[in-house]
Amino acid sequence: MGVHFLLQTVSVGMQTHYEVSSLKAGVKYIVQVRCMLDLGEWSEWSSERSIQIPKEQLPPEKPIIIKCRSPEKETFTCWWKPASDGGLLTKHTLLYSKEGEEKVYECPDYKTAGPNSCYFNKKHTSFWTIYNITVRATNEMGSNVSDPHYVDVTYIVQPDPPVNITLELKKSIKRKPYLVLTWSPPPLADVRSGWLTLEYELRLKPEEGEEWETIFVGQQTQCKMFSLNPGKRYIVQIHCKPDHHGLWSEWSPEMYIEIPTDFRVKDMVVWIIVGVLSSLICLIMSWIMIMKGYRMMAFILPPVPGPKIKGIDTHLLETGKSEELLSALGCHGFPPTSDCEELLIEYLEVEDSEDQQLMPSHDTPSKNTKIMLKETDSDSGRGSCDSPSLLPVKCRESRSLPSALQTQDVRAKEKKGGKGSWDTRCMASEQKTLPCESIKTCTWLAAQLPSNQAAMFAYHSTVEAFKITLNTTNVNNSPVLVGNEENRQSLYPIAETVYDDVEKVSEMEYSKTDQTTVQVRQNEHSNKSPFLNPKLMDYVEVHKVRQDEEPTLLLKHKENSGKTKKCTVPGTSKEYTKVSTVVDHHILVLLPDQRSQNTPVSQEPVAETSQNPQQSQAEKNTSYSATAPSDSRRDTSGSDYMDPSSFMPSFK
Amino acid sequence: PRPDAAAFSAEAVAALALLWLLVCAPGDAGCHPLTVADLFDRVIRHSGRIHSLSTALYEKHFPSRDNELGRPARKCHTSGMLTPNGKEYAQKIPREELTQVILKLLQAWKEPLSHFNQHIEHHQELPDDSLSKAKQISNMVHELKTGVEKVTEKMQSMGIISNSLNGMASSEGTGLSISNEANMMSDSDFIHCFRRDSNKVQSYLKILKCRIMPENSC
Repeated sequence: MGVHFLLQTVSVGMQTHYEVSSLKAGVKYIVQVRCMLDLGEWSEWSSERSIQIPKEQLPPEKPIIIKCRSPEKETFTCWWKPASDGGLLTKHTLLYSKEGEEKVYECPDYKTAGPNSCYFNKKHTSFWTIYNITVRATNEMGSNVSDPHYVDVTYIVQPDPPVNITLELKKSIKRKPYLVLTWSPPPLADVRSGWLTLEYELRLKPEEGEEWETIFVGQQTQCKMFSLNPGKRYIVQIHCKPDHHGLWSEWSPEMYIEIPTDFRVKDMVVWIIVGVLSSLICLIMSWIMIMKGYRMMAFILPPVPGPKIKGIDTHLLETGKSEELLSALGCHGFPPTSDCEELLIEYLEVEDSEDQQLMPSHDTPSKNTKIMLKETDSDSGRGSCDSPSLLPVKCRESRSLPSALQTQDVRAKEKKGGKGSWDTRCMASEQKTLPCESIKTCTWLAAQLPSNQAAMFAYHSTVEAFKITLNTTNVNNSPVLVGNEENRQSLYPIAETVYDDVEKVSEMEYSKTDQTTVQVRQNEHSNKSPFLNPKLMDYVEVHKVRQDEEPTLLLKHKENSGKTKKCTVPGTSKEYTKVSTVVDHHILVLLPDQRSQNTPVSQEPVAETSQNPQQSQAEKNTSYSATAPSDSRRDTSGSDYMDPSSFMPSFK
Repeated sequence: PRPDAAAFSAEAVAALALLWLLVCAPGDAGCHPLTVADLFDRVIRHSGRIHSLSTALYEKHFPSRDNELGRPARKCHTSGMLTPNGKEYAQKIPREELTQVILKLLQAWKEPLSHFNQHIEHHQELPDDSLSKAKQISNMVHELKTGVEKVTEKMQSMGIISNSLNGMASSEGTGLSISNEANMMSDSDFIHCFRRDSNKVQSYLKILKCRIMPENSC
């Protein structure tokens, strides 16, 4: 009825009727007419006459059948949707026919199921029969029929949701809560007759969760849920469907259940106690670690022990307490090496301004022989073979020097196979050695002490320990030192080896020098001439001993023809291998070797050493030893040195 | 929702077990006599499996259901049989009649099924798994019929139903004529009709069970 203000004037002429076309449907028109006399004035407009143009009228469109459903497999309902009705009142009719029949029936009930629906009750519902259902829309202009809809009621069953849903929390044996759900089938479904069998499915999720957990439970009407988290709120829903082909029902309304937290005071207390205890333990452990960290580290990672010679304490060496050191060496059964290997080196330190040297040498193996050289000098280079001051007397022979002694900074040197080590030493110092004039190996290496210093020797021997400390002032009359050069004049500290054996080799040899006789004096002798001429010697070897009134120590020159020899050992082939003392600063007292009486050759292998006559200590009575006072000194073990004054001889 | 593929082999085994148990005579060692309720449960389960198989076959053949339903001239060879088409009717007719209907139906499908098997092997219209399913159906229907016969015998021995099942012979005769009609069915009709009849059998069995033993899960 819109209001249009479209004014249109049409001149009609003399007629009294007029046809208006192109009218719009659904519009109300108002018409007025007026007239005019010939060329006169227009009259007034007539009264308004209105006319409503009706809307367009069409037959109705085809309705559409939406769905047909049976809630309990006994009745069913169909719904349709009407299309445009063409502006007119439209009536719908539903018509159906059954499979195998020609007859068409109309819907028995349009009302029960609501507008645009058709309800088929039990009487009108047949199963295992296909229905052909159509809907007809009719209006004044015509009618229209929907497309046919075929339906077999058996397969359109969609039950109602289950009802009477109960959620119950029960406690299991361990006080864990579990959920028991029970429900009932929808009231309309006839499950009791077996006509309709329903299957159920439930779903649940935590209230804050997003995904549903769907569980198919089959035909049972109760379910137990165990795996629920305490303290959470859950939402539960159930739906069902017929066991054969059908449709799932709607979900039941949401049911809420809260799982109580299984929170007991007792558990919390236990945890608190556990926490406190463990923190305490951690504190104690860390405190212990801090306090005793080092000890524990030492316990876990013990320090690697350094090499140690049994019986020798490096500290003792360093501190200069040779007494203890010697005692450690001697008293504890320092294992003697083999005869061939053990080198007994007896050092005689002789100060000799005239380069006379005493070279006792001993090549008999003796166990427990050690060279202990203590140098008061601070020069560390002292005593090594390479030391320029060293005058090792060594045989040219490259024979091993089983008894060669090295004066070195032997502190706590262990004797290895004495041969080899000695060899090297000797070899190393070969250049500095005097020409060896004897086949016998050099057995003596002397380390040079600086002048004006007395060498301190420490030795230990079960046998007579012979310690000589020579003063520089007594060089002149000191026993012979071995010197490298002829004219070398210096003090040569002599390291004495410590023998546990009686065997001592004290050999002195004069090389390049004239025969020097060692006047071995008997005890009654005294004030003899210098025992040894301070001359250069290659090695010392007791060559002969005269048992005459003047036993002399002859220096053997085995190969040195140039040297004169005195071979005045009558009869006996005693060999004096032991220097017992120094008398008057120039007299060397030698002791005969008891054991090797008839064997001038030493017991050592030939290759090794020269034949060092050995003396046993047992021959003290026959020895040409110093006076008694010095005996005690001589026979010391453990004392650092012997005061030469103690050797003030009284040869008797 | 039952997975079809996995269930079929299990169903065959179960079908054999069903047969064995039905044949089991009381008194054998290790053989416990089954109650009527147990027997009914077994046959009902078996019929359910048959129905599932046929539904799977049907859905493969007819992807869209509704429109295909209305194809004209869809007539099953068993349509002429008087069968209750609703719950009320099924509850009203006597038990013997209901039992007979079941047996008739099963009988009516015996031969068409075998014929169908021979037919589809040559025609290759169906996919391979459908072929195997069809073969399975045939065996299962045979087993089901045997089972229902056993149940019937049991019921008759127990006096639950009378012994007035003399119409079997006549059903045999009608079965033959029906079978002739069945040979003219198309494959799709065949599948559709069989699916419906398997549902009928299942429903009738359920109702019969609950009529006889209302207390057992009814």
